[in-house]
Amino acid sequence: MTRSLTPLSSSPSFRRSSSARFYSPTASLALVTPLIAALLAGFLYPVARLIALSFSGGTLSHYRRVFTEPLHLDVLFGTIEVAFVVTVASLLLGFPVAYLMARLSKGLAMAVAACVFIPLWTSVLVRSYAWVVLLQRNGIINGLLIDTGVTEGPLKLIYTEGAVILAMTHVLMPFMILPIYSALRALPPDYVRAARNLGAGPIRAFVAVTLPLSLPGVFAGSVMCFVLALGFYITPALVGGPGSMLMATLIGQQTTVLLDWPFAAALSTVLLAVTLLFVLLFRRMLSLSKGLNSVY
Amino acid sequence: MTSLLSRSTTGLRPIIAGLLSLIVLSLPTFAAERVIIASTGGAYDKALRAAWFDPFTKATGIEVVTVAATNAEMRAKAAAMVKTGTVSWDLYLDGEIQAASKAHLEVTEDLTEFCRQFADREDLSANACSAGGALLQSTATLLAYRTGKPGEPVPETWADMWDTEKFPGERAFPNFDDPWRVMAAALLADGVKRDELFPLDIDRALAKLEQIRPSVSLWWKTGDQSVQGFRNGEYSLGQIWLTRAKAMHNEGLPVAWSYKASFLVGDRIALLKGALHRENALKLMAFWLNSPAAQAKACEVLSCTPPSSEAIAMMSDEARKTMPQGDDVRDYVIIPDAEWINANAAMMLQRWNEWIR
Repeated sequence: MTRSLTPLSSSPSFRRSSSARFYSPTASLALVTPLIAALLAGFLYPVARLIALSFSGGTLSHYRRVFTEPLHLDVLFGTIEVAFVVTVASLLLGFPVAYLMARLSKGLAMAVAACVFIPLWTSVLVRSYAWVVLLQRNGIINGLLIDTGVTEGPLKLIYTEGAVILAMTHVLMPFMILPIYSALRALPPDYVRAARNLGAGPIRAFVAVTLPLSLPGVFAGSVMCFVLALGFYITPALVGGPGSMLMATLIGQQTTVLLDWPFAAALSTVLLAVTLLFVLLFRRMLSLSKGLNSVY
Repeated sequence: MTSLLSRSTTGLRPIIAGLLSLIVLSLPTFAAERVIIASTGGAYDKALRAAWFDPFTKATGIEVVTVAATNAEMRAKAAAMVKTGTVSWDLYLDGEIQAASKAHLEVTEDLTEFCRQFADREDLSANACSAGGALLQSTATLLAYRTGKPGEPVPETWADMWDTEKFPGERAFPNFDDPWRVMAAALLADGVKRDELFPLDIDRALAKLEQIRPSVSLWWKTGDQSVQGFRNGEYSLGQIWLTRAKAMHNEGLPVAWSYKASFLVGDRIALLKGALHRENALKLMAFWLNSPAAQAKACEVLSCTPPSSEAIAMMSDEARKTMPQGDDVRDYVIIPDAEWINANAAMMLQRWNEWIR
């Protein structure tokens, strides 16, 4: 695992956390037990119940419905597509921010961090409504476009799939920025300097050193964005139109309108399976890319 | 470390004292009689409290505790409570159509016995009390439009809603997982007679909707969206709730509506199976049906139609004038076939989802 870049893994900022020196394995286990117990009781048990519910009646009939009625598969693929677009958009917009935060002086980095964190701490509902205000027919953006003569009349911005992607990207960006930032921070500046010393230009140094070493952060951020986007409910309901139906909306309908919980459970289980599949896929992709085994 | 701890406890002391006093203050209420009702909160809750809960507490000494949730949340939560045997609410409000469904009757107590006491009341409407719950109020979903210059023709029927030549401008329809209203409006626009409306011909309804789709600028999910859309000029003709149309009218917006294109649907008060304060809950429901004054006061604020005709008589002329009643109801207003809607809810939603995407 560590054959190619031994100095890297022995660098204190990677892997070896200092707390390992203070706690024996037993103590560590004791410390982690409450968390595991909470996960078992609060997550694994309900999920197991949910999966059991989806097989209620001892048949696969609910799953048959999911896979034979075209609507459900259409919505599932649509949801994956939206989640993918949102993840890519967050990555493209978030990476430069994370890079900047890691390179700036402490005070400025704090200011940028505040710009990332304050939206994160604001309710999703508030942020989604803010987009409604911005995008509506006589909202700020349409007003600006008309005043500057870019368009004649108001454009249809709100209640579209574009609005859903925009608002979701905004809500999920911090989840992309923070892991990338921490990966970039952990990267000793010496490496880039060494690359430059060996004759690499700034672009070459970035592509050969900074980018590959930040990939664990990119991976973590992408998985987090993608998984969260797959389950989004509030934002699409507020800024999306009838065409932007996502899985969570369908599950919500079955749960609260039709009270068909076994079918809702089947839909949820399919979504969960798809999510896990993508997480495994991401991991596999990352471990296949050479040289990264040493950092991840 | 110890200094930090003592410092932090000094800081905490007022908070702890506050919490303790809260416990002491709340002790008497645990001992007193109470009843817990879930409603949609906000202005609705406030009006009900002033008109109904407070006078009830005054008369009986029973405290009314309200829990806020959306209708859909209430329905799902009530079902979960009864299924898991942890019933913490006594009453909750649900739509009249849902209250007639099998799922509803599995979760709530059959009130047929309780309703008997109101059988001879002439002032109450025939549906004021049924197995699924006592009628709280009724309100309409109807055709509302932006008013133009005096003398211009105004849309009156659903056929007018579809007539984009005579009435240009964009349209708004609801899209909140309960599509029968929109389909029924389409069928009426297509010439189906009122008494032949149910069972709904879904294929025909969707074909008719396809005609108007290019003109629809807003598919609203929440009542708030329908108001905001009208304010912004996003549509000029819309199928919206009367309560919202009236609120916009009170705001001074140029809005009017037609009872010739309207559906009347009520809200019911349902009693959960295994409710802890069952007796108090029954008293609270009876208090509502027995107090026209309370009904009048609440509906004056909420722009609804109360179950008692005496209550209607007590309301102001202004409120009465904008209420679907008498001749309107007899000649035009559609009262939906709840049984058919419930039996076909899943099918309708499925067809709707497939069409709307």
